[in-house]
Amino acid sequence: MRIYAVCVYLFLYTPIAIIALFSFNAGRHASQLQGFSVQWYARAFKNPFVMDALETSLFVAFVSATLASILGTLAAVGLQNIRGPARAVFDGVIYIAIMIPGIVIGIATLIALVTVFDVLNPLLASLWFEGGQPPRLSMGIGSLIAAHTMFTMALVIVIVRARLAGMEKVLTEASADLYATPLGTFRQVTLPLIAPAILAGFLLSFTFSFDDFIIAFFVAGSETTLPIYVFSSIRRGVTPEINAIGTMVMVASLLLLIIAQLILRRRPRS
Amino acid sequence: MAHIPVDLQYTANKQSDSRPPIAALRNVSKVFGSVIAADALNLSIAQGEFLSFLGPSGCGKTTALRMLAGFEAPTSGDVLIDGQAVNDLEPYRRPVNMVFQSYALFPHLNVSDNIGYGLRQRRPRLSRGEIAGKVGRALEIVRLTGFESRRVWEMSGGQQQRVALARAIVNEPKLLLLDEPLAALDRKLRKEMQIELQDLQRQIGITFVLVTHDQEEALSLSDRICVMRGGRIVQTGSPQDLYDQPKSRYVADFVGTSNFFDGTIDAVVDGIATLATRSGLRLQGAATAGLSVGAAVCLSVRPEQIRMSRDAVPGGLACTVHNRIFLGEHTEYLVQHPALGTVNVLTPRLIESGDMSFQTGEQVHINWNPGRALVLSPD
Ligand SMILES: Nc1ncnc2c1ncn2[C@@H]1O[C@H](COP(=O)(O)OP(=O)(O)OP(=O)(O)O)[C@@H](O)[C@H]1O
Ligand SMILES: [Mg+2]
Repeated sequence: MRIYAVCVYLFLYTPIAIIALFSFNAGRHASQLQGFSVQWYARAFKNPFVMDALETSLFVAFVSATLASILGTLAAVGLQNIRGPARAVFDGVIYIAIMIPGIVIGIATLIALVTVFDVLNPLLASLWFEGGQPPRLSMGIGSLIAAHTMFTMALVIVIVRARLAGMEKVLTEASADLYATPLGTFRQVTLPLIAPAILAGFLLSFTFSFDDFIIAFFVAGSETTLPIYVFSSIRRGVTPEINAIGTMVMVASLLLLIIAQLILRRRPRS
Repeated sequence: MAHIPVDLQYTANKQSDSRPPIAALRNVSKVFGSVIAADALNLSIAQGEFLSFLGPSGCGKTTALRMLAGFEAPTSGDVLIDGQAVNDLEPYRRPVNMVFQSYALFPHLNVSDNIGYGLRQRRPRLSRGEIAGKVGRALEIVRLTGFESRRVWEMSGGQQQRVALARAIVNEPKLLLLDEPLAALDRKLRKEMQIELQDLQRQIGITFVLVTHDQEEALSLSDRICVMRGGRIVQTGSPQDLYDQPKSRYVADFVGTSNFFDGTIDAVVDGIATLATRSGLRLQGAATAGLSVGAAVCLSVRPEQIRMSRDAVPGGLACTVHNRIFLGEHTEYLVQHPALGTVNVLTPRLIESGDMSFQTGEQVHINWNPGRALVLSPD
């Protein structure tokens, strides 16, 4: 049993370790080590394509995580007051959204958006004022943000809901008893108490969006995110530069995930 | 609690019976699904009084309190505060504050922010100085000066309880509702807090409505007690009324302890009823209204009303001392009667001295003044 576990871990982590190791390779070859160097990291940072992709990725991750945190929190708080069968339906839908494979979300979003654009674009064109250039809806950064927000919102809902469930209902009653309006209670009691869950949800959403390749591949249009850049350059062969980028993305993601875990672990004392 | 600030002072006039009711329940019922949690409650709460709801678990005490606070709307009937029906008034619009059983202190706020919470909701806004002043005085009242910036979870149960009290009284509510506020404290602390609670109520004069299932607590604190059972108020009265004139076996049993003997009424002469037990004994007690000859009744005799002697007395019952429990100023005897079973007798220390002390196994005779025993309906 122990040997089996060791094998599984080896199988899981050896490729990752190799990527990290070769990112410090002084030589050009991806297969033989030729001394230690950080030149590939410097190279990556100087590459304008990498920097563009990184910027797109960070922007998409930040905007979609922010939207997901706000919408997800509102949804979780709203769901608190729903009971009975309707609640079960909502819960089911949210869990399904998390479990659907990325590729399905990617394809489904692509088809849905293309269909909607096909209807809306002619409509916009016909309604647009004479002489002006009607806007054309197309795949791009907007659709990418929308797709990521949709998926990560489900994550936020689940995390915030768990925290809300752990929060004593009597605290909101005490607040109402002390003359706070429902909005005042939300602002002064509920929000501060679920803030750690919202922050954790934000970090997870950010990480997810930043790392995502599959959904982005379908809905990004002509935009290039970092994972898409890595994918397209691998087709021209693996360079240590790609290893360096992969290592950095991995470390950053791990850090964010660990922080999110620490935030969620910290039990509210009472 | 020696020093009470002027703006929290209120001279309660407990003598006057013409005090207008500050709150009232008029035929209030509350149904949860198939459970009738409150069944046609009728009650007037006078300005400045200390009222308790007393009853076993699940009898609807909390439900009654929550309807006053506004967390539950009555299924039928009216809840009145200051003469106004408030059935649909939200909790945050009611001039009422509650001390929750679990205290419900806000874990993300320190002590003074917890206490000032209600003041900060006021519109027009109070100035920071005003809030700080009121919070400081409330802290003084509950003797927590110096604890302003403490985290609430760093405090002991008794201290948290005081913060919860301060958080409520600082708003000077018309009605202070307390749901088993002392239940989570250990016995000694509970006694201390009971005294503090009573002092506090007398000094600030706010009307207190307390929920408890602890009869001792209700008896020692309240001006008036509502004894509840299965969603209904079975009797309302001063602690002494309930103790001396319970209207049913249930109340006699719940308020204080008593010996109960079942039987049927044989005769009623001059207000004294004679009842026959199943084993043919004849026992006497004061008849209460509504009970006639032939009715199945229950005789209630308080342990301290029973006299015990070595010599036979007319009408006395011969018993064997089964157990003797020394209680300090009292001694409690459990004596065994062949037909009535175990009888509880409480004798004061005064009589207990010398040869009036009885030993286990000894033959004794017990009797009581029929005027001091009560014939009650058996339920
Ligand atoms: N929100 C609710 N939904 C359904 N039933 C309820 C609800 N609140 C109370 N009940 C029921 O109403 C009855 C009275 O409850 P309540 O909490 O008022 O009792 P209580 O006298 O305060 O008891 P305890 O001493 O255990 O606190 C109980 O049978 C309880 O199960
Ligand atoms: Mg209760």
